[in-house]
Amino acid sequence: MKKKLSMKWIPWLMILPVLLIRGFTTIYPIFTTLWNSFFNIKILRGSSEFYGLQNYIDLFKDEKFITSIQFTFIFVAFSMVFHVILGVILALVMNMKFWGRRFLRTIVLIPWAMPAVVAGMAAKWAFNNDYGIINDFIRRFFHEFQLNWLVNTGTARISVIAMDLWKDLPFFAILVLSGLQFISGDIYEAARVDGANQIQQFFRITLPLIFKNVVTLCIPFTLWRLTTFDLVYSMTSGGPGEDTALIAYRITTEAFTNLNVGYASAMAIMLFLVMAVFSAVNIKVSNRVRTE
Amino acid sequence: MQQLTMKNKIYKILSIILKWVLILSISFLILFPVYWIVISSITPSGELFKTPIDYIPDHPTLASYQFLIENVGLLQKVANTCIIVGSTLIISTIFSVLAAYAFSRFKSKGITIAFAFIIATMLIPEVVTARPLYEFMQKVKLYDTYPGLILLYVSAVIPFTVLILSNFVAEIPISLEEAASIDGANFLQRITLVTMPLMKPAIATVCIINFVTCLNNFFTPLFYSNGIQVLSVAIVQLPLRDNMYAVPWDLVSAMGCIILLPIIIFVAIFEKQIMEGIMAGGVKA
Repeated sequence: MKKKLSMKWIPWLMILPVLLIRGFTTIYPIFTTLWNSFFNIKILRGSSEFYGLQNYIDLFKDEKFITSIQFTFIFVAFSMVFHVILGVILALVMNMKFWGRRFLRTIVLIPWAMPAVVAGMAAKWAFNNDYGIINDFIRRFFHEFQLNWLVNTGTARISVIAMDLWKDLPFFAILVLSGLQFISGDIYEAARVDGANQIQQFFRITLPLIFKNVVTLCIPFTLWRLTTFDLVYSMTSGGPGEDTALIAYRITTEAFTNLNVGYASAMAIMLFLVMAVFSAVNIKVSNRVRTE
Repeated sequence: MQQLTMKNKIYKILSIILKWVLILSISFLILFPVYWIVISSITPSGELFKTPIDYIPDHPTLASYQFLIENVGLLQKVANTCIIVGSTLIISTIFSVLAAYAFSRFKSKGITIAFAFIIATMLIPEVVTARPLYEFMQKVKLYDTYPGLILLYVSAVIPFTVLILSNFVAEIPISLEEAASIDGANFLQRITLVTMPLMKPAIATVCIINFVTCLNNFFTPLFYSNGIQVLSVAIVQLPLRDNMYAVPWDLVSAMGCIILLPIIIFVAIFEKQIMEGIMAGGVKA
């Protein structure tokens, strides 16, 4: 009897540290953020007054917030489209048999394994008009080329998206590759016997078979894009103006630099709601696809 | 017929050319920027302001590294990074192995909910929890301390580690443990002598992935420490040089190299395990 009782508690004891750590670092603070979002908090004066939904209402009158939302949307959309297209191409290349395949698979891990801030700091210099490698490279072909990438809104945004792809595309491609490796060679053999060329094989066999895998991958990758912070922090600091301030960057600036804690909390809760709704819809849809 | 094989031949040659163009341009796109960072770090800072860029430095020097060691406290930052990442790997592995064992060997409604809870917390982004967590860490005097940082680093890797390890334990046949308990092994011996040794490859894989995750962690050390600097934060807080550009590129490239070179060596050694680890996480995700 005594043994049975203790056996019931053993698994809970084993998972207790993990539960406590995750609880304290995620659940407790997210509820605090929710609570704070209903208050007008002045850190310096140490005052805090109930504000109702005013923080949330103010959001939609705030031009900086709207710019952030716009760029976050552009960033996620463009980055994801290119993730899918280029990621599938890169995965196909990595799946080919050629001399040096292991070398390619190894170097593809380098962008994934390096901190985003290293890529971001290097990009800050790489996109410099006078001394960066991007323009240096272009000038080898077009001698008079001048462009200060990170100073103009459009080109700064393109640069940020390009760096995000450089850093993260390999990771996406490796995950697509894992789906490709499950396709047995027999199917291609049969297709070749039937006279299908490689382009037909790709569109008729490969693409349909990895389609679900790629769509499923897009869920976490979209969520990560929505919370991208390091890259913008190190590369542009949100500039020029506020034009590359992704929402995650905007939130931390409000919370830690401008000390508008209540207001920042309202933004954070909005971001979390968008992410939660997005994942809920996707999980539902992908469950339906799977059961069909 | 003759024409068809001719066409096939041209088609084949074209596809080989396309393949190698792709392979070479991918390699170039990844390796060239890395090469540029490396040579910039050994170029005298004055020569960095040259157009066109000189890709083979005429007067290689280690002055930037010397400056980092003497004036920026590079060695202290390397030590901080090692202490934090090392402790995180040990602690997170112990906690996660215990939890993974419990999650996959004991089935009850409560345990299943607890597992779902751990996985669901992955969805909560760091920026949403940052401000309250910052205040909490200050209140309990863990802000800017090694234990505080390690706690947050551990927390960041727990969901992934628990997920991979529980899947792995679930595939180890329980009959092995039953056989051991017939031979008189108690519960603790069953875990430590039977299951844990079999988990070694999975533990190695998660440790390798977590090592990279921890090195890349920037958000945690940026917001929850001030005096204790790790390498990823140090690179964005280098002293500015007196030039009109906001980037002290000589120092940034040297610091970049110090972060990159161990990573490149690490990736070259553990390519297979990293691929397996990423894929194991991805297939389930």
